Amino acid sequence: MRRSKALATLATSAVLVSLAACGGSDGNEGEGEGGEFEDAAETIDKDPDRQGPAPEVEGATEGGTITVYLPDDPGPEDLDPTNGWSVTGNSIQQALTHRSLTQYARDNESGEMVLVPDLAEDLGQPNEDFTEWTFTIREDATWETGAPITAEEVAWGIERSLDSDAFPSGPGTEYSKHFFAGAADYAGPYTDKGKEYDAISFDNDARTVTIQMETPFPDMDYWGAFMAMGPAPLGDESQPPEYGAMPLSNGPYKVESFRPSEELVLVRNDEWIAESDPARHQYADQWVFKFSEDSTQVDELILSGNDESQTALSTGINSENYTDLRSALGDRLVQQSAQCTSFWAPDYTKITEIEVRKALAYAYPYESVWQASGEVPGVTRVPANSVMPPGMAGKSDYQVDGEQITTDPEKAKELLAEAGYEPGEYEITMVYNEGTPTTEAAQEQIEKGLTDAGFKVKGIPIPIETSLYTIWTDPDNRINKTLNLRGVNWCSDWPSGLTMLPSLLRTGATYNTAFFSEEEIDAEFEAIPLLPLEEQPDAWGALDERIATEYYPIIPTAFRNDLFTFGEKIGNPTGDGALGAPNYKDLFVAE
Amino acid sequence: MPDLNSVASGPSEVSMSDPSAGIQVAEKLHDGATDDETRGDEFAGRSPLRIALTRLRRDKVAVVCFAVVMFFVFVAVFAPLLAKMFGVSLDTVSVCEVVECNYASPDAGLPKAGPPAHGFDPEHPFGINPRTGSDNLAHWLYGCRTSLMIAGAATLAASIVGVLMGLIAGFMGGIVDKVLSFIIDFFLTIPFLLAALAIAPIINERFAASDNYPTIQKVSLIGVLAVFGWMGVARLVRGEVLSLREREFVHAARVIGMPTRRILFRELLPNLVAPIVVAVSLMLPAFVALEAGLAFLGIGVTDGASWGQTILKATPYWDSYPLFLIEPMVGVVLLVLSLNLLGDAIRDALDPKTRR
Repeated sequence: MRRSKALATLATSAVLVSLAACGGSDGNEGEGEGGEFEDAAETIDKDPDRQGPAPEVEGATEGGTITVYLPDDPGPEDLDPTNGWSVTGNSIQQALTHRSLTQYARDNESGEMVLVPDLAEDLGQPNEDFTEWTFTIREDATWETGAPITAEEVAWGIERSLDSDAFPSGPGTEYSKHFFAGAADYAGPYTDKGKEYDAISFDNDARTVTIQMETPFPDMDYWGAFMAMGPAPLGDESQPPEYGAMPLSNGPYKVESFRPSEELVLVRNDEWIAESDPARHQYADQWVFKFSEDSTQVDELILSGNDESQTALSTGINSENYTDLRSALGDRLVQQSAQCTSFWAPDYTKITEIEVRKALAYAYPYESVWQASGEVPGVTRVPANSVMPPGMAGKSDYQVDGEQITTDPEKAKELLAEAGYEPGEYEITMVYNEGTPTTEAAQEQIEKGLTDAGFKVKGIPIPIETSLYTIWTDPDNRINKTLNLRGVNWCSDWPSGLTMLPSLLRTGATYNTAFFSEEEIDAEFEAIPLLPLEEQPDAWGALDERIATEYYPIIPTAFRNDLFTFGEKIGNPTGDGALGAPNYKDLFVAE
Repeated sequence: MPDLNSVASGPSEVSMSDPSAGIQVAEKLHDGATDDETRGDEFAGRSPLRIALTRLRRDKVAVVCFAVVMFFVFVAVFAPLLAKMFGVSLDTVSVCEVVECNYASPDAGLPKAGPPAHGFDPEHPFGINPRTGSDNLAHWLYGCRTSLMIAGAATLAASIVGVLMGLIAGFMGGIVDKVLSFIIDFFLTIPFLLAALAIAPIINERFAASDNYPTIQKVSLIGVLAVFGWMGVARLVRGEVLSLREREFVHAARVIGMPTRRILFRELLPNLVAPIVVAVSLMLPAFVALEAGLAFLGIGVTDGASWGQTILKATPYWDSYPLFLIEPMVGVVLLVLSLNLLGDAIRDALDPKTRR
């Protein structure tokens, strides 16, 4: 999936790589004080005892239609829960239509996200070494047809996530395949038809689902918050890809109509039982999601304050309108950490000197690139020091050179000289998207920054229709072979370094666009998940620092935040810090 | 051989005046009654083009439009000198040096000097691009150059191809005419925008890594415009030739054994000057608008200055910085409008039936 408005930090698509969940939330919700972001130090709490119904939101009323505009975001291609890995699809469906084992709830006083049970009665019962997890499915949860959700259906839904061929862009390809016992030899229920897979077992009478793990997997409760870890109707009814066009809902809303890249309409599901759900509400009568909207028009609409805009919200803004929106909307302009980091990835096999990699970090014109690419410097993009984004357990505040690296061409030239290169001698070859003013303007700034710092640059334009990732991740691509500088843009799936560091820096990982490979670091990636649970966060933080200090393989260029705008009559305008999306579960239409 | 030449030039001279001979007289009478200047050389032989020129000179709209077009041509030709004179350039600057990047300030995202937040800035008379920090005047000057260069080259290519195809199709007739007419119809059926949208990525795929990419892009754009622009001229010329070739002076030329090439270029072509000039003068503004339109869609000139690109970049700033959008718009509108009006005036002037 591609975000049509490409990001100038070399990465086009948050959607493609962005994995849905992430940790921590920001206390500072757009008070409009100039966009200083507090780094959320806290991580997600867990509350295994929370039960339905969800606590009422203050002042909430029922009824009305909420319209959600998603500027420049094509949204999900299908609605199959097993295929949902994009932030957009997962945040909408998880919150409104599709339940899973666990879920996140926003504490409306502290603004923090809490991991609470969903279809399971608690957050799961692991065995001693986290190689077996048992979830008890609650008995009052139902499908939109009124039929109860059985343990068998949950087990079937989870088993579907093992099929990488049927669901190539699903999150199961990363987590189910990697952690579930024997998953390497089982291609999934559709591809390996008829083959027995016994690592997922269920007991319909005791209403339990048990999953055996290949290696210890203490984060199974977080993984359970993906809608891919939810039920699916048995047999042919859930056959992909037909099921993705009109899946059976089990949340407070059901799908009325869905046109990919255009519109998704959700209406009340009368069979949903509030008592069975610890976090979701059913305030509005209807939800309308409009994809691929023109961001300028959406901003105009929100600023106009007319009837249509009062019950609308938007998941993105144009930076040109930031000042206007801030003064017009006040705290209805919400800043939300996206739990993402953008990187420059110098090819580890071609740019072998650490001095040159650091010189690149000093050459990058951070603020200018953000401004040119239509971001709001200091608000939607903030300087980054580490691989792990703020809000992640164990995130270290280390500075690789003692203080935050900023644009400093002189320092870059010194580093180049140390490595033995004259100014203008070292050539950087990179790709960028042409066809939009933002990516082209950002590339101009990057080329100027690099040239000022003593590099020679060759930028290869790629039409905006092609995601840069298709080039960066294809080892046989003709253009990719000539590059020595790539990029990547990664969001965490839950607040553990496990969802950031190995995905980016393990030898052979798909999104290891720097081709970084060090045996001892790979060994660490295997070792840390085996440590006692409470030691893991700090171990990830320490590893993050160690990699940066010893190798500096990828250059963090920004931590990313999102801006959401809410119409006047949208109640409780807040963001969901776990998913990096509007807090759909708690929104309502005010009187 | 010299003999043949003199013989050949005989009918040729006749041909120049032949088609409009009768009209010329009427023209004289008409001119003589209204214009004192032309009274002096009454009854002196004048070609239709001379008459048209005289008529044009008396047309105020045409004169003004001509002046405007000449202004743009001047700007296009001397863009680098003019930019130097104003002290502006296309060079990339660090955005945050000239644009307010601190979003806590009220002028966030707008230039630190000049419009819209501040007064006139002599260093950047047209202001600054708030996205990239580049100078608007330099982009305007070079954008004019790009626009006219591409439109001019495409018009030249399209009219040469069109005239040749039309001449051959009309004069040869028979199977040649059928084949050429089919080709003309075939090209007319291809939707221009669709073809342009399809070709752009192919060009990119093939040449993106090349050092000459900007030049290749311009050449291919000229090619696309010309390939889809020559059919109108070809049809027009073919139609004219079909009627002209049955005229006496052409028959005479054939009878005395003049080679076909010579008949085409010395006998027929001079008689087609009027329709060709009209077609060309209306093709030019169409190409200027198309070039801007394609650039706006992101498939024209993406590297370097272009009015269409500037319009695309400026659209989101309409509320906060209208001048940014107005400048390239004025350029395109003024140039296209005056070229069109000038084209109309030329057509009127060349049309012997016009009475004003």
